[in-house]
Amino acid sequence: MATLPVSAEQIIARFGPSLNFPPAQGYPGRDEPDEVVKTHCCFCGMQCGIKLLVKNNRVVGFEPWEEFPFNEGRLCPKGVQRYLQNNHPDRLMEPMERVEGQGFRNVSWEAAFERVVSEIKRIQGKYGNDAFAMLSGVSLTNEKCYLNGKFARVALKTKNLDYNGRLCMVSAGAGNKKAFGLDRASNSYDDLKHAEVIMLCGTNVSECFPTLTHWIWQARDNGGKLIVVDPRLTPIGRTADLHLPVRPGRDSALYGAILHQLIKHDWLDHDFIRDHCSGFEEAKKAVESYDLDWAERTTGVTKEKILQAAKWWGPAKTSFLLHARGIEHHTKGVENVLSCINLVLATGRIGKPYCGYGTITGQGNGQGGREHGHKCDQLPGNRDIENPDHRKYICDVWGINEKDLPGKGLTAYEIMEAIDRGEIKGLISICFNPMVSLPNNHLVKRALEKLEFYVCIDFFLNETARHANIMLPGSLQEEEEGTTTSAEGRVIRIRQAVKPPGNARTDTSIILELAKRLGAEKYFTFANSEAIFNELRVASKGGTADYNGITYKKIEDNMGIFWPCPTEDHPGTPRLWEDRKFKTPDGKAHFHGIAYRDPGEVTDAEYPMILTTGRVVSQFLSGTQTRRIGKLVQQYPEPLLEIHPKTAAKYGIKERELVKVVTRRGEAEYPAQLVETIREDTVFVPYHWPGKKSINQVTTGLLDPISKIPEFKVCACQLVPQGRQAPSSEEAQAYASA
Amino acid sequence: MFSTLNIRAALIAGTATLLLVAAILVGSRNLNNFDAALVAYLFGCIFACFAVVYRYCVWLQRPPTWKYFVRGWELLFSRHFVPYVLELVKHLFTQFIGQKFIRNRGTARGVGHMLMAGGCTLAFAVTFPLVFGWVNFQLKPGGIDTYEVYNFGFKVMEFPLHSWVAEALFNALNWSAILVIAGVMIMMRRRLTHAGQIAIQTFEGDWLPLLLLLAISLTGLGISLDYKFMEGKAHQFMAITHAITVILFLIWLPFGKFYHIIQRPAQFGIALYRKAGEAGPQAICPHTKLVYDTKLHVDDVKDVAAEIGFNYARKDGTSHLDYSPQGKRALLAKAHLKARQDSGAFFG
Amino acid sequence: MNTTTFRTDQEFFIDPQRCIGCHACEMACAECETNGQQPMIHVDYVDRYLTPQTSVQVCMHCEDPTCAKVCPADAITKDEFGVVHSANHARCIACSNCVQACPFGVPRKITPMDLMMKCNLCYDRTSVGKRPMCATVCPSGALYYGTREKMRELRPNSTPVNQFRFGQQVVKTKVNIMMPKGATELVVDAQ
Repeated sequence: MATLPVSAEQIIARFGPSLNFPPAQGYPGRDEPDEVVKTHCCFCGMQCGIKLLVKNNRVVGFEPWEEFPFNEGRLCPKGVQRYLQNNHPDRLMEPMERVEGQGFRNVSWEAAFERVVSEIKRIQGKYGNDAFAMLSGVSLTNEKCYLNGKFARVALKTKNLDYNGRLCMVSAGAGNKKAFGLDRASNSYDDLKHAEVIMLCGTNVSECFPTLTHWIWQARDNGGKLIVVDPRLTPIGRTADLHLPVRPGRDSALYGAILHQLIKHDWLDHDFIRDHCSGFEEAKKAVESYDLDWAERTTGVTKEKILQAAKWWGPAKTSFLLHARGIEHHTKGVENVLSCINLVLATGRIGKPYCGYGTITGQGNGQGGREHGHKCDQLPGNRDIENPDHRKYICDVWGINEKDLPGKGLTAYEIMEAIDRGEIKGLISICFNPMVSLPNNHLVKRALEKLEFYVCIDFFLNETARHANIMLPGSLQEEEEGTTTSAEGRVIRIRQAVKPPGNARTDTSIILELAKRLGAEKYFTFANSEAIFNELRVASKGGTADYNGITYKKIEDNMGIFWPCPTEDHPGTPRLWEDRKFKTPDGKAHFHGIAYRDPGEVTDAEYPMILTTGRVVSQFLSGTQTRRIGKLVQQYPEPLLEIHPKTAAKYGIKERELVKVVTRRGEAEYPAQLVETIREDTVFVPYHWPGKKSINQVTTGLLDPISKIPEFKVCACQLVPQGRQAPSSEEAQAYASA
Repeated sequence: MFSTLNIRAALIAGTATLLLVAAILVGSRNLNNFDAALVAYLFGCIFACFAVVYRYCVWLQRPPTWKYFVRGWELLFSRHFVPYVLELVKHLFTQFIGQKFIRNRGTARGVGHMLMAGGCTLAFAVTFPLVFGWVNFQLKPGGIDTYEVYNFGFKVMEFPLHSWVAEALFNALNWSAILVIAGVMIMMRRRLTHAGQIAIQTFEGDWLPLLLLLAISLTGLGISLDYKFMEGKAHQFMAITHAITVILFLIWLPFGKFYHIIQRPAQFGIALYRKAGEAGPQAICPHTKLVYDTKLHVDDVKDVAAEIGFNYARKDGTSHLDYSPQGKRALLAKAHLKARQDSGAFFG
Repeated sequence: MNTTTFRTDQEFFIDPQRCIGCHACEMACAECETNGQQPMIHVDYVDRYLTPQTSVQVCMHCEDPTCAKVCPADAITKDEFGVVHSANHARCIACSNCVQACPFGVPRKITPMDLMMKCNLCYDRTSVGKRPMCATVCPSGALYYGTREKMRELRPNSTPVNQFRFGQQVVKTKVNIMMPKGATELVVDAQ
């Protein structure tokens, strides 16, 4: 394959993104729906409960689900508008094949499957099984994640399977496994309510997880203090008791310095450290020299503020520490996470009421999706693909020979690099839009152009899918039964509200059909989603992420069950570690000695500014869905470059003047937005947009050595003011930028 | 409405009513041309005249209404009246006759309203002159197949009995009834199916007017159908029910929803006022630093608010009403922020 | 028709400092069936240059509504529950007196329709005992609809206040604003 079959503009004209608005009086039938389906939002890890109104196999509106315990009807703008992804004019309803010079042409399912299977066989026959890779995503249900993991290993027989959770929280997962031997937020969000101190580390809760705000505000109503660590003053940080505007990439220095203060002032839980932890001495030694002067110099946060944070965090009786992509998207992602965990362990505030810790997973099923084996190094139940016992157990469940189970493969970005090097020739992807979401996307584009065959399963023709040889129209979240696991570890039911329209099929039926045609039918005899879940339960049994005791009925009756839940009479585990039995080999929680090191790319005379990226409240990830929903696009129509007025003055940049951001990987142009709410040494651009508006044209492809998460949150850039004003944002067509 | 008699309004209404009566006497040549069968309608009209003018005058006396009333006429009689007259004509065609603003509220609604308005206008145009005896038809003496039309007692035209003109004239009320019925059906359907309408509609405010129009139209149409197909067997019933419904309409005109027919032309005044405001200085919000309205309007609203007892003035001579809506909202948010900051806690 | 199960024990409470500016309320408001995809609530940055603070404003449903008083067409009415309704479609002549006179900056003029529209407390929902859309979805509790007792329990250190001072004018409203404990009014214009 080469470049796109026709120009991007031509593809956009036919397949969108185009904006969907509801009719002025709403969709007909929403006053008298055929069905009101209690399900969940398809977007972030909060997985808010929502009721979808269905009329004639169409989702025509929504109603808040006030009984669901986490969100009690509360929603963010994405949740309110999520129903508009249904009934969307861009929806793919026929399988298609690429036609050179013409774009895409509809083909029958038979022809499409035939072609896919013959190409898989051809490529694998010629270059070996691992030359065909699979990319999956964690907006998919647990069932589909599990199925994709099994499909890749058993039907496709490739080791190169990875997922977009690699861009989400893998560093947190890796850190949690190192420290606790298990990867899940330690508490349900109910434990936020009476936390005396809440520390938000690199998480813009107000824009990325708006419905979590309620729980944090509740803690504050009860007198709790809020510490927010973020290079920008975000809405959640505006009223915080303490805002630490850390210089991007210096997080572990900050947490190291706070640990230094805890030790210095003896704000430690010695009993807990002695009885239930290991590695404290290493941790202590690593931060020995991290006094306040050093910390202020390194992190750019004043001594007073760092000390104040330690003063509040140290002696508190209860506390909750939450982190997200802000500390995880780094070449030191795992170290940052471990430096936060050190603060939790040092004060012994875990496994008790209102004492919590956790990463806030970004994607809808970021939690469940990272447990059930569609990750290159993992098997279901969060088992390790390189652990002989784990391999044997799963092979027994699957009924395959252990030697036929592939080993550890490449991670998402590494798969792109391997394609670029010519080692991987074929790709199947589902629920992943790397052209927008991976860093340094010039490389991604080059790689896609080098593929011999690419088949994509999606409901919209996203920016990556434009490169596909065969496009298979799959299903929306509301078109299949299943489960997801929310960021707090609550396994919940996703309901099929409608059937896929036209000739679109459920993702599951597509994967099952491919498995059958690849000769693996006997391993894929699932009658429905519940059958897949039931096999997942067995496969996860005895693993750290144990779903064995969870059934569909139990989830429905209880509006969610927290794993681990080993047996059917087990109520689930909202709060981990009450028994102090950590899942590490020695049964203890592990401190780690975290010596600070610089981010992968530091500023210099040529590239003097720090560039950091993130999200806005009205968009979700690569925008495949949210850039197609009219009002969400209108709320924040185009990416803006947030810059401090003092810095802007230095460069002579005016409000809405176009500014070129140049890095070692490329350049991109954005209107400037002058705000005093960002550090003077940092600029910020949100990443949801494609093509020329994508900030991932310039971000680095440097990875964390352990988790292989890319360093989205910091790189060095220059700013080149263009001397002209950007046209008004209403005219911006950024949502469909080529 | 009439709890305290508004002397001024009563005087004006009385005068108007007397003028109407005089016009009827003159126009019908001392009731020579008056059709005695229509006497009940006549009294309904005279009552409606008094009540409508009375209410209109009471309404005009409200400070905000008076302000616009005066401003509108001032503009039309100003030295620079030309653009305002042009604006008036434009507005007449696009909004008043064309009812564009109603179509913008919804297509079905626009069509429904247009049908009802068209039907009613046609009906009024026929009914009032007939009832007042201003128009009457007579067979041309010396024949049985030519009609003559008299207006204010003067012959204005004649037409053969079996011509299309005759068909059109004699059936005008039937056509208007059909238009109104079609419009009412569209509007009723909306009121039955649209949840937003269902939530806020009231019986007397929204359904009664539709039912009344429907009753008038059906009984009116019924009179003709009765003649045509039932040899007038139901004439008595149809004629009486029709008279009752029409008289109800006339009596209710000043009080209920139909009063908007009288009130709507005020929109013209607003259009002129807006044009005048745009020609003058603009108001800039001290918060947003953006133009948000005309200075004329902001000042007038401040005056009117003060006149009816609201004092948004600050001690420094400025007013809360100097701010744009967005500016006002920002002031409140900032005041709340300050109150919270001063208390030492944002939450609790 | 006109039957209503409006719950008089429930009240609206706003608390602007909790607002995170997410616009969920605005999107949800547009779903309200009385206003046909037109949002009636206002969410704006106060001054984005300086702060991410946002203002959030629903109709406060004044006891003596200035908007109704300055209306030349008698188009704005208050019902027996104290809900100040959006302009009567038949009467409103779109003069925008109310837009300019409302001390809270609530009414909007919809120019193509020659009509003022404003928040009517989600009358399609509240009149059948449901909570308003905005207050149901608000993820931060900046908008809350429920009983006074529940509010007291949730936010013991705040006092609901329904009196505002704008210059010389005191305005009392049906909707409450959450203020520091003991406060009796919110002074908007100190001068």
